[in-house]
Amino acid sequence: MQALPAMTLDWSVVWQHRDALIAGTATTFLLTIATMAIAVPCGILVAGLRLYAWRPVRALATGYVELFRNLPLILVVYWAFYVLPILTGLGLSPLATGLAALSLNVTAYNAETFRAGINSIRRGQVEAAMALGMTRAQALRRVIVPQALRRILPVLASTWVSLFKDTSLVSVIAVTELAYVSMQVRAQTFRVLEMLTAMAVLYWLLGYPQAKLVDWMQRRMKVTE
Amino acid sequence: MEFDFAVIGDNWQFLAYGVWITILLSAVSGFTSLAAGLVIALLRLYGPGWLRVPCVLYIDSMRAIPVLVVLVWTFFALPIVAGVTMSPFTAALIGLTVHLAAYAAEIVRAGIESVRPGQTRAALALGMSRAQVVRRILLPQAIVRMLPAFGSLLSVTIKDTAIASVIAVPELMRQSETVAGQSFQPIEVFSFAILLYFLMLFPVTRGVDRLYRRVAHLGRS
Repeated sequence: MQALPAMTLDWSVVWQHRDALIAGTATTFLLTIATMAIAVPCGILVAGLRLYAWRPVRALATGYVELFRNLPLILVVYWAFYVLPILTGLGLSPLATGLAALSLNVTAYNAETFRAGINSIRRGQVEAAMALGMTRAQALRRVIVPQALRRILPVLASTWVSLFKDTSLVSVIAVTELAYVSMQVRAQTFRVLEMLTAMAVLYWLLGYPQAKLVDWMQRRMKVTE
Repeated sequence: MEFDFAVIGDNWQFLAYGVWITILLSAVSGFTSLAAGLVIALLRLYGPGWLRVPCVLYIDSMRAIPVLVVLVWTFFALPIVAGVTMSPFTAALIGLTVHLAAYAAEIVRAGIESVRPGQTRAALALGMSRAQVVRRILLPQAIVRMLPAFGSLLSVTIKDTAIASVIAVPELMRQSETVAGQSFQPIEVFSFAILLYFLMLFPVTRGVDRLYRRVAHLGRS
């Protein structure tokens, strides 16, 4: 392989733009936390509708989950960017649009996680609890939920890690998170290799411990019935 | 609010080409990442000891870095490092394979480890070699058990090809963006793209579920 004669690397560009990169990282975390804060309660709601609601509502909830689980997130982001302002009549900021798109997507995944977690507890357990004189709500709260939680939490944790990475996709609508900021600095300074490598390394440094933590959680909370 | 879906009819060939590239890129990168994942998993499990750490490091790193970052790096930075130029399609194929092979490797490993160790010991006691055990005892059962996970990996692959639009691969997402931009009718175009992606992805998820139910008994032991 031939060495490129003109290639001189200048890594100081990364340090020079540290403030922008730190702000971008903060936005990435903010987006992840805010999306989860929305998508967990909404996911519980949708799962509840799918399991216990009136039949047409159940079908609607199922349709929503299936639709969003079968769409590329980047398309949802574009769609939200163009359609939400028209639908709501509001001029939404890129950040709010990105948050909406991510929430729509993650809510569908979370709903499926909650539904699967509740369904994974054998039917006989509810029947046994009710035979002991518990009401349905009591059986759900005291028998199903505590067991289901051990199955749900590890899945939620890996959804978190996926979400953390997926926030990079809202860079296409100019949300100033880590990926967008890095690519913007690249465009301004023409330091392509340096900035793109810095972006990858930053995501790695942030994401690696989270992925490892999820592995540990999954090992620890493993349920055998 | 008025919608005019004539824009779809006017550009159907352009969009159909996008669908074709999406399918092509999904099929090829699905295949290459499966093959690479199988090799990496086998190396991790049965390869020389010194290879284990790099394999695990690679797999965990890919789980930590967004696909977008991998694709952008492959297209813009890799040519600088390697001194080669490549088409967006090639870059997307390389990037997607590097990323998805890590997930495929994890699926293969979990599948192989799900077969009870007693079976390996029994086969070794019968005089089979390690390679024979893997080929004739472990893989036939493990592959059936891996099917659902491979199905969801395939649907992840199709979804991830949409991210290749960022590096200008003319797949469905990119083509839709272009039509939306030229026609000033993003709502119609993107809504139609939603329909197309759903029609591609839903049968994959459902088809794999069906197939698995039919062959699940083959993986029992």
